[in-house]
Amino acid sequence: MNLWDLLKMGLRNLSRRKARTALTVVGVVIGTVSIVSMVSIGIGINETFEKTYMENGAMTIIQIQQYSSSFDESGNWTGDKKQTLDDSLVEQLRGIKHVKAIAPIIDQNGQFKSGKYSTYVQLRAIGRDAFGEFGFPELTYGTYPTATDNKKIVIANGTLQSFYYYSGRKYEEKTIDPTQEKITFTFPEWNYQKNPRKKDYKIEMNPGLGNFAVMEESDNWEYNSTCYVDMDFFKEMWKQYASTLTVADRKRAMQVLESYSAIYVNVDNIDNVVEVQEAIKALGYGTYSDMQYLEPLQQTSNMIQVVLGAIGALAMLVSAINIANTMVMSIYERTREIGIMKVLGCKVYDIRRLFLYEAALIGLMGGIIGIMLSYLVSFFINKYGQPIFAAIMQTSAVYDVEGAKFSVIPFWLPFAAAVFGMFVGVVSGYIPARRATKISAIEAMKSNQ
Amino acid sequence: MSEEVKARKKMIEVRNLKKIYRMGDEKIKAVDDVSFDVLDGDFCCLIGTSGSGKSTILNLLAGIEKATSGDIILRGKNITRMSEARLAGFRQSSLGFVFQSYNLIGTMTALENVELPLIFKREKRKVRRKKSEEMLKKVGLEKRMDHKPSEMSGGQQQRVGIARAFVAKPKIIFADEPTGNLDTKTTVEVMTLIKQMARENHQTIVMVTHDPTLTEYADKVIRISDGKIVETKINQAADAAV
Repeated sequence: MNLWDLLKMGLRNLSRRKARTALTVVGVVIGTVSIVSMVSIGIGINETFEKTYMENGAMTIIQIQQYSSSFDESGNWTGDKKQTLDDSLVEQLRGIKHVKAIAPIIDQNGQFKSGKYSTYVQLRAIGRDAFGEFGFPELTYGTYPTATDNKKIVIANGTLQSFYYYSGRKYEEKTIDPTQEKITFTFPEWNYQKNPRKKDYKIEMNPGLGNFAVMEESDNWEYNSTCYVDMDFFKEMWKQYASTLTVADRKRAMQVLESYSAIYVNVDNIDNVVEVQEAIKALGYGTYSDMQYLEPLQQTSNMIQVVLGAIGALAMLVSAINIANTMVMSIYERTREIGIMKVLGCKVYDIRRLFLYEAALIGLMGGIIGIMLSYLVSFFINKYGQPIFAAIMQTSAVYDVEGAKFSVIPFWLPFAAAVFGMFVGVVSGYIPARRATKISAIEAMKSNQ
Repeated sequence: MSEEVKARKKMIEVRNLKKIYRMGDEKIKAVDDVSFDVLDGDFCCLIGTSGSGKSTILNLLAGIEKATSGDIILRGKNITRMSEARLAGFRQSSLGFVFQSYNLIGTMTALENVELPLIFKREKRKVRRKKSEEMLKKVGLEKRMDHKPSEMSGGQQQRVGIARAFVAKPKIIFADEPTGNLDTKTTVEVMTLIKQMARENHQTIVMVTHDPTLTEYADKVIRISDGKIVETKINQAADAAV
């Protein structure tokens, strides 16, 4: 029998007992709705967690700061410890499993000037390989530093918006467009004393020289406010700058290049962040990552997901038994018909397929109706579920209850649910279908149904 | 005549066929060492009283029941050794059935019932519809095509059954008491129809009955009693009965 004939015959048989089919489908609908809405709640919770943290920094990055705060067992601050971050540590870090990239960092203050406007920025020197590895935002102008083209400053979008002018009487803010207006970079005057006989150190930004780039606006505040330079270029800049200082301060300034202010470690996968962090801790260094705060929350949310999924699966199991029951009844009723079909030359394979298709059709219908209802349920959860979830989710201060979505149905979920519905139908229809094929034609035709 | 008979092929060969049922410790020999041949195009009638084993022989011939021992060779193929799947294929291509209780599917119309063997054979929709309609016209049911079995008389239902048996043009047709539930007048109609259609397409028929008056339609009459053949008769005047 071809597919179309099988489907037609299956549909005819299903419509023969409309009430029974409808009730079975309702069972699958309930199963599907519970699974889909439960999974969607789990996904919603997880997404909100991650979104909250994505705004604050990249999830896979571990920071090792020069000054590391230490805490006692109950989480109280006990003081800062200075750690030496040098190239030998970088080599050690390279040996740790799951480490994807390492970026030594030197932070310095810098200043941009454009006419009467100026702004102070954090200038971060970083190994140029890091630009491809740490989730840096797209550029609206220029390119990231490369080995052959590293003499440039990557300016944060937020920096350009924070130029100001202050004269004591008047305060003015301005957004500067470096491709249109002239800006210069200098190091601020307050850290080191300048040698008055030397010329000021400054770099003029010039589109013609290609010595700057601009990052697009980012959710990550670090990329939105910090300006970046290649480490090698920074060392060059810093030496030149140091040569404009007094002899005493020159020595002090050169110490900046001896130890990194921080090392950023990028881990290959969110799941491995905590493991890598433990390994670094074992080397005797204090670390920080967003993940270390998110992980317990994520564990909670994973557990909630599992529990919710189990509730949904239970409903689906009941509906699977329901389908099997319907199919057994249906085969019992159609014993004689099956016998006739066999005698007329219907292959056992086709009889089995016929019953499997019927079961799958029930599953599919239930799945599709269930998905449509799930969208409705999801909508109501998001609209009216807030007070309930605010009560459950009190564990986390970071969890922004106001703007949060509690139920998210990703695009794959409806397809997964439809396929799953069909799958449940086929599995629960399999044993009844096999029973149908075992019916002896002669016995079947004797039965007077 | 006798020369012509020799020239024809054997369509059905039955050799030492046995079917033994076990009822507790007791063995019942339903079919006890039966051998016979049916020639191509013959109308063979198995006659016997109720319980004589004639229906069992038919079921064995059709492969609906498995023989205890012996060989059944249909169109040169030994069906006792066929797998279930090959047997189904063989039924599709070579066998047609007419039953006493019609065995139509109640939820389907006459046309759909007739189409069924062609659906199993995976024939194209248009082709099989046309064939089925033609067949129903031949049995005189052109006005009943969309009727369900429950809306038809016994005679009409059996004519649908005949249309279904013949629609795929099988070489062999098995009929199990085809007129058992019909009155005398309808019996004559149905028998004439079967005989006529079989002759048109040169088909071989094996019919089981307990009614001696039906033997006049047969070319060959085999009398069965207690699972054994007790008499074989060649009916030369069979064609005259139509």
